[in-house]
Amino acid sequence: MASRIKLLILVLLLTLIGGGLAAYKHVRLGIPMIVGDKPTEWLVEAKVTFIANGEPVTVRLSLPTVAVDREKGIGADARSAEYSFFVDPDPGQPAAVWSSDSLENNQALYYRVRFPARGVDSAGSVGERGEIPEPTDPGLSGTLRAAADSVVRRAREFSSNPETLLVGVFREIAAIEGSQEISLLKQHYEEVSNGDALTLLGIDLLNMAGVPARQAYAVGLNEVRGAQEPQLFVEYHDGVYWKVRNPASPASTLDPREWFVWNRGGDPLLEVSGGENSQVRFTTTRDVIPMDRLTDLKESGLIVSTIFGLPASERQVFRYVVLIPIGAFVVVMLRNLVGIATLGTFMPVLLALAMLEMDDLGAGLTMFVVIVASGLWFRFLLSRLNLLVVPRVAACVVIVTLLMMLLSVVSWHLGMRDGLKITLFPMIILAWTIERMSLIWEEEGKRNALLQVFGSLVVAVIAYLVMEQKQIRYWAFYFPELLLVLLAGIILLGRYTGYRLSELMRFKNFEEAA
Amino acid sequence: MRRWWHRWFRTPGELEAMGVVGINMRNARFILPNNPRRLYDLVDNKIRAKALAEQRGIAVPDTYGIVRSPKEIRRLDRMLGDHDSFVIKPARGSGGKGILVVSGKDDDRFVKPSGSVISLDGVRFHLQNILAGLFSLGGKRDVALIEYRVKPARVMTELSFQGAPDVRVVIFRGYPVMAMLRASTRESDGRSNLHQGALGIGVDIATGRTIHAIHHGRAVTTHPDLKVPLIGVQLPEWDRILDIAVTCQEMTGLGYLGVDMMIDEDRGPMMIEVNARPGLAIQLANGVGLLKRLRPTDERAKKFPDEELRDKIAFSRNTFAARIVGA
Repeated sequence: MASRIKLLILVLLLTLIGGGLAAYKHVRLGIPMIVGDKPTEWLVEAKVTFIANGEPVTVRLSLPTVAVDREKGIGADARSAEYSFFVDPDPGQPAAVWSSDSLENNQALYYRVRFPARGVDSAGSVGERGEIPEPTDPGLSGTLRAAADSVVRRAREFSSNPETLLVGVFREIAAIEGSQEISLLKQHYEEVSNGDALTLLGIDLLNMAGVPARQAYAVGLNEVRGAQEPQLFVEYHDGVYWKVRNPASPASTLDPREWFVWNRGGDPLLEVSGGENSQVRFTTTRDVIPMDRLTDLKESGLIVSTIFGLPASERQVFRYVVLIPIGAFVVVMLRNLVGIATLGTFMPVLLALAMLEMDDLGAGLTMFVVIVASGLWFRFLLSRLNLLVVPRVAACVVIVTLLMMLLSVVSWHLGMRDGLKITLFPMIILAWTIERMSLIWEEEGKRNALLQVFGSLVVAVIAYLVMEQKQIRYWAFYFPELLLVLLAGIILLGRYTGYRLSELMRFKNFEEAA
Repeated sequence: MRRWWHRWFRTPGELEAMGVVGINMRNARFILPNNPRRLYDLVDNKIRAKALAEQRGIAVPDTYGIVRSPKEIRRLDRMLGDHDSFVIKPARGSGGKGILVVSGKDDDRFVKPSGSVISLDGVRFHLQNILAGLFSLGGKRDVALIEYRVKPARVMTELSFQGAPDVRVVIFRGYPVMAMLRASTRESDGRSNLHQGALGIGVDIATGRTIHAIHHGRAVTTHPDLKVPLIGVQLPEWDRILDIAVTCQEMTGLGYLGVDMMIDEDRGPMMIEVNARPGLAIQLANGVGLLKRLRPTDERAKKFPDEELRDKIAFSRNTFAARIVGA
């Protein structure tokens, strides 16, 4: 009995700590308990990395103009130990400047901007102070010049203003079977520049056509992508204002819910002196902590000591990690209360995670069924070769990999893009599943094998449906202390000695012998 | 009384009233507190269990050879000697996985009880799979055991369609609480797993006579293939069987276990393996909830903590005797 009291105290303690922390965060720090209570906001984080070579370091990261305005609910902050930091607030070309003397090794600097989830008009019109800008001549010569001239002439014939000219130029560049001139120019630009050659070519052509144009960099507002490279966009002057467009879809203006223009005005995005191999990567996440609370929150030990103390790029990893305990909880429930037989205890959780990553239940299930079924078939072919166990599983991994590639290609050609997002699909687990299933098939008959695979699938689907709930994901991410309450629940379930649902059916014919 | 829902399920209350033990209860109340983890290897490793049993004078099938490394597979011929029938099993296999039974030789090939044949290479491949840990818990590397194939007693073969029936006795705190015979059918294909269609036949602890039988969870009275009556059959050497079961408990130190035995035509009951997590189908086979036996046993064990083996057996035979023994 003593162990029972200990258990109850432990459960109570866990619930109190977890629930108390969550309540404190909600009541005192104002983090909403229910998702969608407060408008969400985007957090865009720039992470600058470079290798310092021991000399004084100066890093200059161009900033979005909106970050300096301090209006429209936009917040920004920088993090960097060992550096002196200031923002150069030049209204046209703001920049964050870090400097430090003599540092070595890998360095990482962060700058974050937060704004409401409906987006900010970072691509809007900006007037030029002073005189109207002049187009700059790209300085082409010889055959290239002639080719460019003829392209520009053709584009001009079909356009009346800078917008249509821009559309015409980029359409011609993007055309699959372009004219000879364009392919000549493309070839030249691809040799000279290191990436984004087509956009650079477009900018130069616009300038030659008399439309002032320059480079801009934008970040896609997309949580799933992880760390992304900035995208090269085009900023052009329509006679009155500077505007930004995406060269991939030149005909439409930028959707502020999809793109955030980080750099415009023609300055380089990043300049580093005193270091090499510098690069900047952007991470975007949707956040729910209200902005006006941000300064209090940053000082709260509760926040700093949790994953929110991490930079966004590091934090992204936890998006799925915090869901694993929930999947495990579902497995415990379904095994110990319901009594569903599965292949391997936590295989369904991994399967559910993979489906979560694919973001599509149907595609995930089809993928699983197709791979396991055809894998099984190959496995039976392999069994005739009398291979040893580990090589046999390894052979299965190879086959599963090939099958997945094939499936991706096929689904791509059928127009289903989900086939491409299967990087996380646990191939080794799948291979083991196939191996174990084929064993059960031989030892206990196909009925059992199918039953267990089906059980695994049911558990995986239920785990997926639970983990996919917005509210649950929200709690797991913003109130990780609630996992302690979950732990208390698992401990309680661990002491459940009653019947499983499946046993009520298993013993349905139980007759007491007279 | 039969109610409409009995077609689909039984309520937890009904099961409780009949004293049916579920998996959660078995694990939490009987296995975890009574079977310390450190004792598991003793029973999970059949080589150790056999050595221990031999020390105690319990009959076990002769070991023809032990294959510990792939190199030793080449010596298979020498190990088998002139034995035509034998059994290969993984030392740490669970639930009857990976057991290969050979009943005879046809030229160079081996014949399985079902009549299908397997080549020498096939046997070697099976050994390699065992060594690689295919059948062991958690896929750990394993050792293969080659041993005497029990020639089942006539009474036993009459109850079974191919394959040799085995007797399981469940022991709790040293007292035999329930026993059953598992016999194969055409459907179970020589195997004795109940969920594959084998018969579970409850055996009276007091007399060793069969009292109740089930097929796929339903009560039956005759063998579905052989049509012989299943009830009222007297097992040979029942005293010896209980003796072996209780001795196995003592030698392993486990508080809750199942002892599997086979009855050899010439040599009588032999211990085949000890199971630290015996299943629950035995309740169905006997038509008695395990809790009805486990509870009184627990009380008895508390009252007389140092009872002799003989007295333990006597208590069980008196207390758990079937009320009506079929004709």
